[in-house]
Amino acid sequence: MITVDKLVFEYPGLRALDNVSFHIPAGSITALVGPNGAGKTTLLRCLAALDQPISGSISIDGVDVLHHPRASHRLIGYLSDFFGLYQRLSVRQCLHYVARAQGIQQNACAAAISEVSRHLNITDRLEMRPGELSRGLRQRVAIAQAIIHQPRVVLLDEPASGLDPEARHDLETLFVTLQAQGMTLLVSSHILAELDAYCTDMLVLRNGRIVEQVNVRTQHNQQQTYKLVLAWPVADLATVLLAIPDIGILKIEDNQQALLQIPINPKLQHAVLKTLLALDLPICEFAPPAGNLQDAYLQTIKPKP
Amino acid sequence: MNLNPEFQRQLYLEYSEARLIGVPLVLWVVFSIGYFIDDHQLSDATARIALITYLLITLLWGARQTMDSILDEYREHTWDTQRMSALHPWELVWGKLFGSTAMVWYAGSICLLVYSLADEQAVTQPMLLIYCIAIALLAQSTSLLLALIMAQRNQYKSSSILMLALIGYLFAYKFTDISLFSTGRPIHLPNYTNQNWYGLSINAESFQQLSLVFTLFWSYVGNYRLMAQALGIRTRPWVWLVFLIFLIVYFGGLAPASSYYVALAGYAVCGVLTYIGLLAEPADVLRLKHLLDALQQKNWPRLAEETPIWVLSFLSAIPFALHLELSNHPIADLISLFHFFPVAILLLLLRDCALYLFFSFGGNPQRALTLTLLSAGLLYGIIPGILSFTGLAWLSALVFPLWADSADAAIICALLQTSFVLMLLYQRWRKKI
Repeated sequence: MITVDKLVFEYPGLRALDNVSFHIPAGSITALVGPNGAGKTTLLRCLAALDQPISGSISIDGVDVLHHPRASHRLIGYLSDFFGLYQRLSVRQCLHYVARAQGIQQNACAAAISEVSRHLNITDRLEMRPGELSRGLRQRVAIAQAIIHQPRVVLLDEPASGLDPEARHDLETLFVTLQAQGMTLLVSSHILAELDAYCTDMLVLRNGRIVEQVNVRTQHNQQQTYKLVLAWPVADLATVLLAIPDIGILKIEDNQQALLQIPINPKLQHAVLKTLLALDLPICEFAPPAGNLQDAYLQTIKPKP
Repeated sequence: MNLNPEFQRQLYLEYSEARLIGVPLVLWVVFSIGYFIDDHQLSDATARIALITYLLITLLWGARQTMDSILDEYREHTWDTQRMSALHPWELVWGKLFGSTAMVWYAGSICLLVYSLADEQAVTQPMLLIYCIAIALLAQSTSLLLALIMAQRNQYKSSSILMLALIGYLFAYKFTDISLFSTGRPIHLPNYTNQNWYGLSINAESFQQLSLVFTLFWSYVGNYRLMAQALGIRTRPWVWLVFLIFLIVYFGGLAPASSYYVALAGYAVCGVLTYIGLLAEPADVLRLKHLLDALQQKNWPRLAEETPIWVLSFLSAIPFALHLELSNHPIADLISLFHFFPVAILLLLLRDCALYLFFSFGGNPQRALTLTLLSAGLLYGIIPGILSFTGLAWLSALVFPLWADSADAAIICALLQTSFVLMLLYQRWRKKI
């Protein structure tokens, strides 16, 4: 659905995006993660054709975004980190304006507003002005504006910032609903725990480069992550573990805990466990961890032993 | 009915029942003053008050409205919503231009109606009304143009409105002879003689009307182009070149019929447009890099997109400068002290542009224009004046080359200055990228 190839974007004295290439499949919810200043917002703005990169190409649903920005806008819904709403219009008028500006015919606007406000639970706020709404409700109105034209791709920059836990939960439900409707979502956020609930893929950006793109639902392809916990620390645990065939080490903590990667093959898994026991390691836990995006993210950004 | 969404949004903002009733009431109070001055009838004083109120409303309020229709989007962070829409640049331009001024025109048309009833000169009235409407449209369109340029430069204050209104009023005065202060003099159109254009004798009034129409047309074209750029549509500078040619042809016809004066018109137009082009586009430190990259990759379409319009204007001025340099100068001495050295002036033009970019690439780009104007004041007036006053006239030519005795000396002095500023600019640019 989204294909980016060798994208380069520069600010004076800084290369914000450096040869960024990736592909996002249709119908996925991809978490765009990375530290502050990694280039997440710049990447989203380039995808939304709001900023022009120096070189590279972006294709969304077959449309060349850089050469046909206006055509691509019909396919894209974008929620900016610093979104604004028309303070002097009612919520209904805001939605009506965006609907019309996105090419929805006048006679279809009422239905579009009704549907999107129902999705976002703002039906009872349509006659209010944005200034009278809470932060969470304004966020919902902004999202409603971004998706009112049923875009194929929705780009969301920090959509949950400033929201309370209940509003975040509602947002998760909404994203899953949008995905079920066939939309492809790219969500940038710092709060990995919240992304964990609904993301299918993760794109890690660091210093303007894609560090890794993983499918968090079946991550690392044919590998499965296991958590090994020892009763007490074992000296030079990394060397001990590296000596075992078919094993990959993702992380070791205090020579007492380790995250291992083992091929998804019962016979091999049995062999690894047997070897670990044979080494007389004080094992008190050996099981797949409660997988979350935070782990996956940390795995990708930490240097491997 | 599928109204232009931007126009409709502006109507949502502008129209309210209170305003629809309040505006005529306020105007009624204003016109009552004229009615009493005219001895309880609608006559000259009422007509004058109506027309001046009209100008105040359409120039001040109207220009403010159109400017805010852009700047408010930036202030309220809603510009991205508009940029993400599927609206055509022209839809946005006319939606903002006429939507944001809907109430202004409501009030303005009441003023014009009262003027029509009070004015006793039925013959000149329709033309005067047309002029008034055209001037207001021009002021509002220029205001939108200015707002788009200011927004590119991250300047969101509407303070330039007063300047625009004043220019609009001067235009109105030129075309209609409406004075704020004179009394007892009937409002009338100036007496026109014939205008000579490329040897053709054209009725001056028709010429003026056509000029006004063309000015309005180009201001709309400018708005369209700037809006297209703001929406991220890649544009090549063909329109700017056509505008440049149009102005050369237009002004060339006003000068005496000779190739020298046509070249002079071309030279002057390109020079002025170089300055305007420089100020109209944001001074982006990366743009030169993109330009050089495109040149290196022989990516001609990208090269055309990245070429600043001031560069095009400057390059266009070169052949005119050479033609003038090689011609016998009917205006060789501008005044007793200065000489007309076209190539040297062109180099000074380049120096000024380089100076502006040098300040723009510095720590405080917001002050680039002020610093450039200050430097220009020093270089063109104060320093050469002091040097000349102290008897160092030969040194003043080094600072202001038009004081040199020969074209060669002037070119060398101008070249030295330009090279020095370009070197400074290059060093700063290298540091920035």
